[in-house]
Amino acid sequence: MASKLSWPLSSRWTIQCPKCHGEILRKRTFISTGSSRAIAAPPVNLTQNSPSNPQNARVVPASPSYFTGRPDSTDNYLNLLALLRRYQTLPTVAPAQAPRVAWRTVTQYRLLVGEPIRASKYHKVVEVLQRLNRIHPAVMPAPLKEAMEIYKRDIDPYAVTKRPNIIDADGRAYGVGRRKSSSAKVYLVQGEGEVLVNGKSINSAFGRIHDRESALWALKATGRMDKYNVWALVSGGGSTGQAEAITLGAAKALMVFEPALKPALRRAGCVTRDPRRVERKKPGHVKARKMPAWVKR
Amino acid sequence: MSLQTCWRCIARASCQPCPTRRPPQQLCTLYPASTAAFTTSPSLSALPPKKKAKSPMVEVNVKGAKKTFTKKKKKLQKVDRGKKPAVGERKALRKRVVLSNTNALEVEGLKDITAQSMIDDSLRGHVLAIPGPVVDQLRAVEAFKVTQGWPLFRRPSMLIRKDTLDMATEIENISLGIGDKTIRRVFVGERGSGKTTMLLQAMTMAFLKDWVVINIPQAQDLILAQTEYGPLPSTTPTLYTQRTYTASLLNAISRANPILQTLQLSQPPAENEIPIPVPPNISLSRLALLGAEDPEIAWPIFELLYRELTLPDRPPLLLCMDGLAHAMRNTHYISNTYQPIHAHQFTIIKWFLDHLSGTSPLPNAGLVLASTSESNSPVVPALKLALGQLEGNSAVRKDPFAKYDERVLGVFEGGGVEVKRMGGLSKEEARGLMEYWALSGVVRQRVDDGFVGEKWCLSGGGCVGELERAVVRMRV
Repeated sequence: MASKLSWPLSSRWTIQCPKCHGEILRKRTFISTGSSRAIAAPPVNLTQNSPSNPQNARVVPASPSYFTGRPDSTDNYLNLLALLRRYQTLPTVAPAQAPRVAWRTVTQYRLLVGEPIRASKYHKVVEVLQRLNRIHPAVMPAPLKEAMEIYKRDIDPYAVTKRPNIIDADGRAYGVGRRKSSSAKVYLVQGEGEVLVNGKSINSAFGRIHDRESALWALKATGRMDKYNVWALVSGGGSTGQAEAITLGAAKALMVFEPALKPALRRAGCVTRDPRRVERKKPGHVKARKMPAWVKR
Repeated sequence: MSLQTCWRCIARASCQPCPTRRPPQQLCTLYPASTAAFTTSPSLSALPPKKKAKSPMVEVNVKGAKKTFTKKKKKLQKVDRGKKPAVGERKALRKRVVLSNTNALEVEGLKDITAQSMIDDSLRGHVLAIPGPVVDQLRAVEAFKVTQGWPLFRRPSMLIRKDTLDMATEIENISLGIGDKTIRRVFVGERGSGKTTMLLQAMTMAFLKDWVVINIPQAQDLILAQTEYGPLPSTTPTLYTQRTYTASLLNAISRANPILQTLQLSQPPAENEIPIPVPPNISLSRLALLGAEDPEIAWPIFELLYRELTLPDRPPLLLCMDGLAHAMRNTHYISNTYQPIHAHQFTIIKWFLDHLSGTSPLPNAGLVLASTSESNSPVVPALKLALGQLEGNSAVRKDPFAKYDERVLGVFEGGGVEVKRMGGLSKEEARGLMEYWALSGVVRQRVDDGFVGEKWCLSGGGCVGELERAVVRMRV
């Protein structure tokens, strides 16, 4: 009967030695409750009913949830409910004050536990998690924190904050602007109003005065044209796109120097990136919308 | 009931205009079928134009509703009854230089530039008017260009900028015999930075100082094959003269330089030099006019006149040429072997470039000025290299794969040619100019620091041509 033990054992199974009641084959890496708390069936007392062959040990599921077909997720959910029962009297904060947590999506959670948990079931888990998350951070118990940890996404998107722009050691502020298919890196430094675009003067870079004005519009609209020097690198697109990309970059850099100018710049239309691009050509059309001319036959 | 159906093709014989199967005897023809092939896909074309709705009340053509013959209407030929411009009229209009505008306001307190005030440092950033006689002289040497903004103002005036004062000081020093005897200089700079105007200012000051000015207003005129040319005998390599152009140049010299009336021919020319008899003690002005009247002898007269001007105790000379790059390449003229002739083989260009390179010095001192152009300039790698190196631009290196014209490099090899880069105006100068514009009525805004700073910035750091474009010409 030695062959009984030699089958490949999945992680859901543990071998219990009838004598020591411990797990002997492998330590479970996945966090699951219940294996030590309860077992599906009581062990056989080998001393009273000694078997004819002591090697003939039984295989016992680690958790009573084994028979649900989704033991790990069930165990985890039960654990959460137990914790909720235990800590439900702790003070809570309003939902808006609770720390923002990005919970795993149901797909991510399925991948983690390897079980086909239903979305509706997982939704209940998330509801419990949101309730638990509302417990005041000052009194949040450590075991609860640990239990909630497995439901959090690996990368917390709310922890990622934009690095604030600063004026560097040389007194420069930096901003990136985009428009159409142009992209501009703009450095601003306090000065006399000198402008260099790709190493050229602005009248060499932009032949049209209108383009020059729109490139410096952020400075002009705020009356800062002769207070800052502009040094820009711009690539891609045509002259209109390049000029307006510089507008946006210069506005961002200007807001580093003077954050209070943001409303004025917004009114001047220098804060929001214009998302419009070239409309794609459609089949059957000559251009994006143009149709071929009508022919009688 | 039986269907009227052809069993072979399962198509209705009579009522279906387009049978589903083509009769086998119909062969492919060269010409496309008159009916369109059947297709289930919808038409991709745009919708047909809508018919104009006829008014129901009006019945058209009641009487002859069924006409056999319709009278063809003759197409009315458009007869141009306008008067056509005479030959050369349009070109004359295009080339006309307007120097005065009676609609422009007269600027109060506008001072004239004089030989004394031109070196006054306190006038920097001021606009000074060019005196009337000097305007006539400048017009005679074609110093004014059509594209410049002269028609916007009551009278021609010029801004005294730093470069102008430097030039004035040099002219003063040369007149007094201090410092360098001859300055040879090429103006470079971006478009609209005032290179041509710098030549004009130099000519103005030279006229004020009673110098003799010889100006080639546009080198392009000499190479475009629009003026006649002919070989100069006994020259190797063959030199070519442009006698009509030389005659008009002599005319310009004579009219623009009244000082030539006071100068007389020092000695009668040799017999083989000038084919016509020249009276002794003829004034140089009259001598130049002799050449201007007869293109046949224009070049010998020009040589004689120049030799006279370089004699001792003659006034200093100012030689100017605009559009230098044109004088540095093959011309549109061809030789008798159908090869393009290089510009340096033309006597007038060669004469000027000899002075620019220093091969022929000016014994009575003077200035040799040339200016490049950014808007009308052929690509001459050798000129770009030479000017870049003379300017001290370390980024300009000789490209091992480019072909450089040795003759062009030779002009600048001797050294001594300065390259002067024209930059932008300072803010004070820009302000002075804008105040003048405001007084002339072409600027309506308040000229304050903010306005000046903004326009200075938009014009790429005070590039004066761009400043004019942004402030005067572009009014939103």
